[in-house]
Amino acid sequence: MGFFDHFLRDVRSVIDRDGGQNAIPPLDGALSPNDRLDTAVPIGDALPGIDDVISAGDDAIYVSAGRSVLKLSGAEFATRTLVAEFEGDAGGLALHPDGRLLVCVAGRGLAAIDPAKPNPRWLETADGRSFAGLLSVVAAPDGRIFAVEGSTGRRPNEWRHDLMEKRTNGRLVMCNADLGNPQVLLRDLPYPYGVSVSADGKQLWLTESWAHRLSRFALSANGLGPGEVVAANMPGYPARLHPDSQGGLLLGLFARRTHLIEFVLKEDDFREEMMATMPPDHWVAPALAGGSDCLEPMQIGAVKALGIQKPWAPPRSYGLLVHLDGEGEATDSLHSRAGGRFHGITSACATRDGVIIAARGAGRLLRYSGDLR
Amino acid sequence: MSMAVDSFAASVRRFSPRLVLSELLLKQWFEPVVPFTVMIGLWAYFALTIPDYASVQNSVSLLRLFAEFGFVALAMGFCLVTGGIDLSVGAIFALCNFAALYFLLVKEWPVGAVVPATLAIGALLGSINGFLIGFLKTRPFLTTLVTLIILRASVNLLNTGYAQVFATNSVDSDAWDYIGGGSVLGIPINAATLFVVLLVCHIFLSRSRYGWHLTAIGASRKAARHAGIRVRLMLFFTYVLSGTLCAASGIFYAARQASTDSTTGVGWEFQALTAVVLGGVSLAGGKGTVWRAMIGALIIFLLINGLVRMGIPGYVTSAVTGLILLAAVGIDVKWSKNRGKAIQKIYVNPAFVPLASAPSVQRGSASPYAQNDRLLKAEAIGLDQVEGPEDVILDRQGRVYGSTRDGNVIRFSGPDFETREIFAHIGGRPLGMQFDREENLIVAVAGMGVYGIKPDGTIFKVTDETNRTWYKLNDDSRLRMADDLDIAPDGKIYFSDCTTRYEMTTNTLDILEGRPNGRVVCYDPATKTTRTVINHFYFPNGICVSHDGKSILIASTSLCKIFRHWIAGPNKGRTEVLIDELPGNPDNINRASDGTYWLALVGVRTPTFDLSCRKPGFRLRMVKQVPTDEWLAPALNHGCVLKFNEQGEALESWWDPTGLSHSVLTSMREHKGYLYLGGLENNRIGRIKLDGVDDDWNGYDAYWGGKSRVKG
Repeated sequence: MGFFDHFLRDVRSVIDRDGGQNAIPPLDGALSPNDRLDTAVPIGDALPGIDDVISAGDDAIYVSAGRSVLKLSGAEFATRTLVAEFEGDAGGLALHPDGRLLVCVAGRGLAAIDPAKPNPRWLETADGRSFAGLLSVVAAPDGRIFAVEGSTGRRPNEWRHDLMEKRTNGRLVMCNADLGNPQVLLRDLPYPYGVSVSADGKQLWLTESWAHRLSRFALSANGLGPGEVVAANMPGYPARLHPDSQGGLLLGLFARRTHLIEFVLKEDDFREEMMATMPPDHWVAPALAGGSDCLEPMQIGAVKALGIQKPWAPPRSYGLLVHLDGEGEATDSLHSRAGGRFHGITSACATRDGVIIAARGAGRLLRYSGDLR
Repeated sequence: MSMAVDSFAASVRRFSPRLVLSELLLKQWFEPVVPFTVMIGLWAYFALTIPDYASVQNSVSLLRLFAEFGFVALAMGFCLVTGGIDLSVGAIFALCNFAALYFLLVKEWPVGAVVPATLAIGALLGSINGFLIGFLKTRPFLTTLVTLIILRASVNLLNTGYAQVFATNSVDSDAWDYIGGGSVLGIPINAATLFVVLLVCHIFLSRSRYGWHLTAIGASRKAARHAGIRVRLMLFFTYVLSGTLCAASGIFYAARQASTDSTTGVGWEFQALTAVVLGGVSLAGGKGTVWRAMIGALIIFLLINGLVRMGIPGYVTSAVTGLILLAAVGIDVKWSKNRGKAIQKIYVNPAFVPLASAPSVQRGSASPYAQNDRLLKAEAIGLDQVEGPEDVILDRQGRVYGSTRDGNVIRFSGPDFETREIFAHIGGRPLGMQFDREENLIVAVAGMGVYGIKPDGTIFKVTDETNRTWYKLNDDSRLRMADDLDIAPDGKIYFSDCTTRYEMTTNTLDILEGRPNGRVVCYDPATKTTRTVINHFYFPNGICVSHDGKSILIASTSLCKIFRHWIAGPNKGRTEVLIDELPGNPDNINRASDGTYWLALVGVRTPTFDLSCRKPGFRLRMVKQVPTDEWLAPALNHGCVLKFNEQGEALESWWDPTGLSHSVLTSMREHKGYLYLGGLENNRIGRIKLDGVDDDWNGYDAYWGGKSRVKG
C-alpha cells in the first residue's frame, strides 16, 4: 500500500465510520471474561482433530474427530463406538428426523448414513461445483437439508488461507431429504461456518466467520425468505451453532479477533509475503491453539511476567462459547483466556448431563455441568 | 568469519527526514525558528521591493525607529512570561515621554536628573499595576486595561495643557541630543541600550533564580506558590520592571522627537502583544525568551514600517496586524497543546534491519540450537522473592546476587540460598553486574548510569555521562540505558548503553525502530573519564571481555549478531562480526569455565518478526495503529542459553522451550560447576548442575585470580 492508499483509507475511516473497519468490540456484558470454560471436565482421552458434537437423542452423542465419526454413550460417555470412517476429515454433523446421520466430509461432500445400510449416500456437487469444504449441516423438521461450504472448492484445513486471502467464496446449499435437487441458496459468503434451523422449522440461523456475524432467515416451503443480521462485529470468529434444547443456541467462537490480525489484514504487502514464505502455523492469523511453538508470532503483551501469563494478554488462541437466546442475543458465555487450557471451540451441544463442548484447539471433548443460560 | 562492521552501516539508509524533524521539534531553540525565518523573509522582501532598503544608512535609521518599540515589546514579554499581560505599556510609555519633556523643558532639570526621575515615574506607574495584580490579586487583563484608560486620559489632559510649552521651549544639552540621536560604534544609542538591556534581561530570565521563578509562576501559579516562590512579590516587581522599561522607551522617544501629542504610543499595547505572541512567547505564560519577544517585535515593526513605505493606508496596516495577532494566538494555543503529540507521532522511525538468516531450532535436528528440555530441571532460588533478576552473579563466598526491577540488588546466601537480603538499593533499573578486582560490585543501571557497591553495601557512582556526539541533535551525553558491563584486566569498565533515543520503559520501541541508536562506552578509572568507544550500534546488550583480555564481545539484540571489538593487540580498535547468524535475540554474554562463552537468548526469532524487520513501513504503521500490548515481538516466552567458542561457533544449547520456569531468560553465570539463570521478567533465579566442568572455577578467579587466562 502506498501513501495515497493509506491516506484514502484514513479519509474513509472518518467519512464512513462503519464501513468494514469496525473496531473490535470489548468483551462486555454477557461476554464478560471469566474462567468457567477451564473448569469444564474433559471426557475420556484426547480426541485429536475433534470438530463437531451433536446430541444423538438417546443419552449419547456423535462426535467427529479426524476422519472418523464416533458415538459416545453410557455413563460419563465412556463407551466409544466407531460409526464411520472416511478418506477425508469428518466435520459438521446432523441428525436427520428420519434417523440418518449426516456428515460433512472434507474433499468429498455430504454423507447420509443410514444405520441399516452399510454404504452411505453422497451429495457431492451443487451448481456443477463439487463440495470440498462443507463445514456444517442441519436438517429441518420437514426433512430438507441445509449445508454450508466455507469456501467453494477449498478444504476446511486451509481456512487460514481463506481468511488471509480475504475470500468471500462460501455458499449455503439446500437439498431434499434424499440428497436430491441441491440448490445454492446464497453464494459469495465470507466463510459461512455454522447453520442451524429452529425447532419449529421457520427460521434458519447462519454464522459467517470472516464477517464476524450471525444472521437469521425466514424459512418457507420453497426456500429462503428475507434475512436480517442479528449480531454483527462479534469479538471473535463464530463457528457452529447448535440448539440448547430450551429454545436458545450454543455458539462456539473458534478464535478471538486481535488488533494485530486486523492490522495484518490491511497490510497487503506484508500478508502476501507472509503467506508465500512461511507455514500457516507461523502466520499472524487466528489460531485454534498456541503457545507450544516458539516460532509462532508473539505479541508484546503476552510476555510472561513473574512466571505468569496474564489472562488478559492478547491471545494467540482463545476458548469462547456463547449462549444465545431465541432472538440471537448473547446471554451468557464461557471463556478460556490466554494461558487457559481449552481453546478453539468449534461446537457445543446440550445433553441431559450438561453442555458437551468440542475444543478443537485442545483436542478435547469437554463436559460443562454448570449453569449456562 | 570476520567482517568490518561499517558495511552494515553502509547497507542501511540511516538518514530519515522524519527523524531529524522529530528531534528538531524536541529542541527548545527550534520553536522560534519559524518566526525568525519570517523575519528574515520579510526583510528580504522589502529589501527587494523598496529601493535602498538594504543600505547601511536605512538599516541604521530603522534600528533607531525600532528601539523604542523594542523596549515596550520586552516589557510586554515579561508580563506574558509570568502568565499576565500589561495593556498599559503604551500609555505608560506616552506618560513617561510627557514626564521626560516636562522635567526637562518645564522644570528645566539637568539630563542627569531627568532620566532617573522619568524611570522612577515608570516604575511608580508599574507599581500601581503590580500592587493591584500581585497583592490584591486582580486580573491582569482588566487591571491594566483600566490603567490604560486612566493613564491615556491623563496624558491627553496633560498634553493639552503643555503642548504649547513644549513646542516653544527648547533645551541646549549635548547629553540630551546624544540620547536623541547619538551612536555607539555606528549603532544608534537607543538600539545599543536596548541590546545591552536585552542581554541583561536574557541572563536574568534564563540564568538567574528570579528569572526561573518568573517562568515558574507563569507555568503554574499554584505550583510555584507551593514550591515556596514569593509569587506576589515577584508579580509586583514584574510590573515595576515593565513600567521601567516603558519609561526607558519614553526617554529615548522624548529625546528623539521632543514632542508629545494624543497619538503617542496609541495602539502600541496591541502591536507589542501581537509581536510577542508572534515571536513565540506563550499567552498562557511560562514559556518565552527575550529573543523571541524581540524577533516578534522586529517582524511587526518591519511589517508596519514596510507597509507604510509602500504607501498602504494605515487602517489596512492595522487590519493586517490584527489578523496576524489572531493567527499567532491560534497557532500558539494549538501548538503548545499538540507539540508533544506531534513529536510522538513522528518520533519512531523504523528502518530496514539487515538480519542474516535464522538457523534452525528444530527439536531433534543436528543444529547446536536444536530445542531440548535441559532447563526444565532447573532448581529455583528465591522463588517469588525476586522481581526480574536481569543479571545474576556470584561472589567468592558463593553468594548469589540478582539485579531486580525494584531498583535493588538482592543477595541470597546460606546453604540453600534461603537467606534473602537487600544488598543495596540503587534505584533505577539495575541490569548487568560484574566484580572488580577490589570485589566492588559494579552495576549498570538503566536510567542512571554505572554504579558501584562496596562489599559493605555502600553505593558509589562510577559514571553517568559520556562525551556528546557533536553532530547529534539529541543530547546523548547522559547515559540513557546502561545495560551490561564487563571489566578489562587494566580495570577499564566497558559497558553498553543500548539506546540513546528511548528509555527502559520504551526500549521495545528501539527494537521496533531497528536503528543503530546504542553505543559501547568505556570508563577508565585511571583518568576517571568516560568515552564512547563505538557510536551507532544496534542495541548493544551483553558485554564480555574475552578470556585473553584482548577484546570485548558485544551482543546486538536487534541485529541478532555477536561482535568482537579489539581493545588490545594489533587489531586494536577494530570491530568484527563474531557470530553472524543467531536463532534469537542475544542478551548477556559471560565466560565459561572451559574457555568458551555463555550466551542467553532473550527472544527467539519468529518468521513473522523477521519479516517485519524487513518492512519498516509495516512496523511504523503498526506502532501507530495497533495498541502497545498488541505489537508484534520476537518470541519471549521461552528460555535458551547457549555456549560458543572463541571462533564464534555455537557448541550446544539449553532450552526451556515454552518458558515454564525460565521465560525471557537474559543472563546466566557459571560458578563452581553450576549454571545460574536470571530473567528480566522472572520470579526466580534458576540453577542447573553442569557435567564435566571445572568444579572450582568461579567468576572472580577467572577475572582476578588463579583461573584467569590472560597471558603476561
